[in-house]
Amino acid sequence: MKQGTEARSGRAATQGGLVEVAFDPITRIVGNLGIYTKIDFANRQVAECRSTSSIFRGYSVFMKGKDPRDAHFITSRICGICGDNHATCSIYAQNMAYGIKPPPLAEWIINLGEAAEYMFDHTLFQDNLVFVDFCERMVAETNPGLLATAKNTEAPRGSVHGFRTIADIMTAFNPFEGSVYKEALQLSRITREMICLMEGRHVHPSTLYPGGVGTVATPQVFTDYLVRLTRCLDFVKRSVAMNDDIFDFFLEALPGYDQVGRRRTLLGCWGAFQNPAVCDYDYRHMSEWGRAAYVTPGIVVDGQLLTTDLVDINLGMRILLGSSYYDDWVNEETFVKQDPLGNPIDQRHPWNQTTLPNPQKRDLDGGKYSWVMSPRWKHPETGDHLALDTGGGPLARLWATALAGEVDTPYVRSTGHSVQIDLPKTPGMPEVNLEWTPPQYANTIERDRARAYFIAYAAGMALYFAEKALDEVRAGRTKVFTDFDVPDEAIGCGFHEAVRGVLSHHLVIRDGKIANYHPYPPTPWNASPRDSYGTPGPYEDAVQDQPIFEENGPDEFKGIDIMRTVRSFDPCLPCGVHMYVGGGRTIEKQHSPMFGAQ
Amino acid sequence: MIKVGKPDVSPDKPSHTRGVKEGNSTGNYDRQPGHLPDGTSTAARSTGINPAQHGPILDSMPNLSPA
Repeated sequence: MKQGTEARSGRAATQGGLVEVAFDPITRIVGNLGIYTKIDFANRQVAECRSTSSIFRGYSVFMKGKDPRDAHFITSRICGICGDNHATCSIYAQNMAYGIKPPPLAEWIINLGEAAEYMFDHTLFQDNLVFVDFCERMVAETNPGLLATAKNTEAPRGSVHGFRTIADIMTAFNPFEGSVYKEALQLSRITREMICLMEGRHVHPSTLYPGGVGTVATPQVFTDYLVRLTRCLDFVKRSVAMNDDIFDFFLEALPGYDQVGRRRTLLGCWGAFQNPAVCDYDYRHMSEWGRAAYVTPGIVVDGQLLTTDLVDINLGMRILLGSSYYDDWVNEETFVKQDPLGNPIDQRHPWNQTTLPNPQKRDLDGGKYSWVMSPRWKHPETGDHLALDTGGGPLARLWATALAGEVDTPYVRSTGHSVQIDLPKTPGMPEVNLEWTPPQYANTIERDRARAYFIAYAAGMALYFAEKALDEVRAGRTKVFTDFDVPDEAIGCGFHEAVRGVLSHHLVIRDGKIANYHPYPPTPWNASPRDSYGTPGPYEDAVQDQPIFEENGPDEFKGIDIMRTVRSFDPCLPCGVHMYVGGGRTIEKQHSPMFGAQ
Repeated sequence: MIKVGKPDVSPDKPSHTRGVKEGNSTGNYDRQPGHLPDGTSTAARSTGINPAQHGPILDSMPNLSPA
């Protein structure tokens, strides 16, 4: 299928024994993602893969000329599930541009809201969407032999999670009827309540602003949060054990499954949870306050931590074209020639990007085929443009944090080679001590497993943040906002972790208005097509050459191994592309007039 | 087809007007009743009716007014 408009999958025989299989759109994700593959059924392997997206949104186009104080309210609408991550990141960028530092209590409140968001979103995605690929009904259709083994395999951690066999766990994953599926839905309600307590609303926060928050910090609001967090902890502890059991089973029962979705370890994490004792949002100190964050920023290449410096990370960002429906902006305006430290800023950096959409026909054979651009990180020594991925978010966060050895709190610690998470006794469970160590490969199973551990990480950090916030309140320090005026000229950048990985917002203010604004969320990194150097994007790279373990032949092929790989990255396309309604017409209408406006 | 009225203003009007002070403007914190310069607050941030009588009963207690 070359122009795959059919829902789910289509297939056609090609020369050389390869069968073209197209999955467009991919379900159980947000947005429109198409995966076009050529399968070599004789060798049970994927021969070729192209990742495409057919939606364009244009935030970077219509943000121009707006008041920068609106940026976090507008960019929050990029996503219907992690909008608060965008709001937070935009606020970080605005804080830098306005030259302000929010009071500590405001930072703890934002951290509490974001921790709850990670718990909410990861649980919802893992238990209600990813696990459908691992549930009893799915496995019965794709790998009946494996299900038979699962029925006879005792779950090693059964005493923790309560399921006797692996097949029992798989049955609990069955959508709409399985016990884990239903419990996860309840949990997503509780965690959303936690977010609302801190950020006013979910998913578009109403009480987050540059300079602080509008949340009224009373002891009650934090105890309400803690009560809910304690209820979640019981589930989180069981969930980690259950995840370990199911993923260990796949690796043991299907030898070679660790090669599914494997790609070179090229991970990026931009850090999360600011430390108010260090963070002043001044670009000149960004290296220090970046490292002080409670999820350490970092780039991991081949298992080695390359840098934890946000300035290096910022300077290395390059937005490449190659297979994307845009015209190049090399001859357009350069908004930022130097950063506040005097480092030169490249024309391909988000600060200098001008988005020039050029809609055209999709050409999967060497032409342009996606609305997603190709963000890359330029290695300062080798000059290579690395196609970093986020490992779905948690894999990169845990990996960078583990190797950096910076985080040290009572509940979560980095040892320099692992991350230790201690969750205290809760009503239904004893104390649990977890340790995550970097796996041998960055593959499908490890991306999924890391998600369960990061939920525990976020829960542990939330306990710490709640204690710190209550310390402030008990001392009577109730200030949660700082005054500011919008400068006429300024630049700012915000680095944060959206739930599914790296998130940056780059802002240029001129004449008190937004002159340039570029959000770079995780999905452009993960779903990027082949760049101008021919380097495939992470989805393409991970799926290409991966072995096929599905027992079905070409006629009944569901592509479950490919779907597991793509979903392990937690794809979310609305943030992957920057509203296009066809025929070249772009929606431009916006909102909110105010009295006296010209 | 749903009938809608004619919009009063063009949809591209900015949501902030230059020269009009907003809640975040510098100096506004100092003008807010009950918010003290050291980051603490009094009951005056919650009520204008006898706020002094709503403080904590001991000096060692933080002044935590209701929302």
